Amino acid sequence: MATQIVMDQTGDTRHFFDVDDTEALSKAEKRFKELTLVGFTAAVRDACGDVRVTRSFDPTAEETLFFPRVAGG
Amino acid sequence: MFAHWLFTATRSIGSFLARRVQALHERHRQLAGQHIRETRGIALLREWLSPEQRVQFDANRYFDVVGCCSGKRYRIRYGSAANVCEMDISGRPTVGLCFVPTGNLVAGDVMLAQKIALETNEGTALAVANRFPVQAT
Repeated sequence: MATQIVMDQTGDTRHFFDVDDTEALSKAEKRFKELTLVGFTAAVRDACGDVRVTRSFDPTAEETLFFPRVAGG
Repeated sequence: MFAHWLFTATRSIGSFLARRVQALHERHRQLAGQHIRETRGIALLREWLSPEQRVQFDANRYFDVVGCCSGKRYRIRYGSAANVCEMDISGRPTVGLCFVPTGNLVAGDVMLAQKIALETNEGTALAVANRFPVQAT
């Protein structure tokens, strides 16, 4: 089961989906595009725990984290 | 006459107390909700920290990250504003950096976004960050 984690005012919202389910995968890809389009950054972690930013939907990613754009505080 | 006054006064006090209890209950509910949000933010942060960063954070409420472009070390302290410092090679803070994700997020989320920004896109994070002087400790 793969997860998309979206940071929000509740802490985060998690969307779980089965990568073998084409409809769920399509919804996950749509969510990825919608979030990145409005400025969210998508980051994925590999098995070693290394984090990288991704600009395109990765259907093999176990966990994708979305956080809003950063700005000067 | 007195009985009527007593009845009215009792009802007013009762109504006042009921409103106060309701307000306190609502306040308690808000604080509990805030605590849950903060806890979830910290749990998410800990999940995404490296093992070394997690140990450091659990011990000190801060962790260090290395900028992906410059190799400089930054310290991210618990907080949601003005909580990042650039460190020199001897581990002293040289300048404070203030950059945060938009959207009024809890501290754990803010710190995680700062970590990923510095580790994967240092230039952009530094470009938007406001700088402030820090006292070397």
